[in-house]
Amino acid sequence: MATQRGLPQSKESLLQNYNKRLKDDIRSILDNFTEIIKTAKIEDETQVSRATQAEQDHYEMHVRAANIVRAGESLMKLVSDLKQFLILNDFPSVNDAISLQNQQLRSLQDECDKKLTSLRDEIAIDLYELEEEYYSSSYSQWDSTDLPLCEAYRRRDSWASPGSSSCSSTQGDREDAEGPPSQEANPQHHLNGHGTSSIEKP
Amino acid sequence: MANERLRALEDVEKEIATVMQCAGNIVLELSKDKHNASLLDRQLVQFQASVNRVENELSGQIRYLTQVATGQPHEGSTYSARKDCQMALNRAEYAKVKLGELGRTCEVMLEQQQQQQQQQP
Repeated sequence: MATQRGLPQSKESLLQNYNKRLKDDIRSILDNFTEIIKTAKIEDETQVSRATQAEQDHYEMHVRAANIVRAGESLMKLVSDLKQFLILNDFPSVNDAISLQNQQLRSLQDECDKKLTSLRDEIAIDLYELEEEYYSSSYSQWDSTDLPLCEAYRRRDSWASPGSSSCSSTQGDREDAEGPPSQEANPQHHLNGHGTSSIEKP
Repeated sequence: MANERLRALEDVEKEIATVMQCAGNIVLELSKDKHNASLLDRQLVQFQASVNRVENELSGQIRYLTQVATGQPHEGSTYSARKDCQMALNRAEYAKVKLGELGRTCEVMLEQQQQQQQQQP
């Protein structure tokens, strides 16, 4: 058994008080019960009349039974105090409870974030397809400076592999479909075209 | 571990009630004209066993507390993890609300489309 640590005086005296209360209550229960059993013994010779003796025994048993009940209630109070002391001062169990709670909360948070991330990925895929459908239709009115998601991905792919024919054909379709709204962009294309042609001609 | 000790103390409370009940049964049996000796013996044995168990268990708990108690307050907390989890649940709730709005918008658009189709001859 480990030696007693240097506890503050209040805690040490509190625990000694608990010990004392325990011993006193157990002693009270046993002594009073023993005396009740002894008093229940019928004696032939009494100093007073039998009625008086019976009345005295009756009163004594009443008091001792009340003492037993009081000691029992005191023990219950002691158990309640010990529970409170245990909750506040049993650091190993408090640490375990805190770490278990933290673990549960973190796992719940991770699960929540994982599901949100997968939801985000699924919605991003759907959004890509929807934008592709919308911006390739006649209803779209997009500014060339504000790229939709599908166009951004397509341009990134074309930069990565400039010889891909699918990208150029798709770009040609887009330009055909978006003739009127992109008039602002056309002069820039023409400018770019003139620019390159002037450079190429020596 | 904490729950086990608290459960042990709850069992001690039940044992104290058993002690009282056994003492009462013994006195009740003694008050009768004809005693049932076997019942008296059984109740007495149970009374003594319960008293010993209560004393041993409570002494053990007090001994453990003497070894473990430091006199300082515990400063551990689950606040940060709880707050992070609460924020994650708030994010999920917000996503749910936004998806609900999107769903309702799509339903309204579909209803309008259906109405237009019905109106066209």
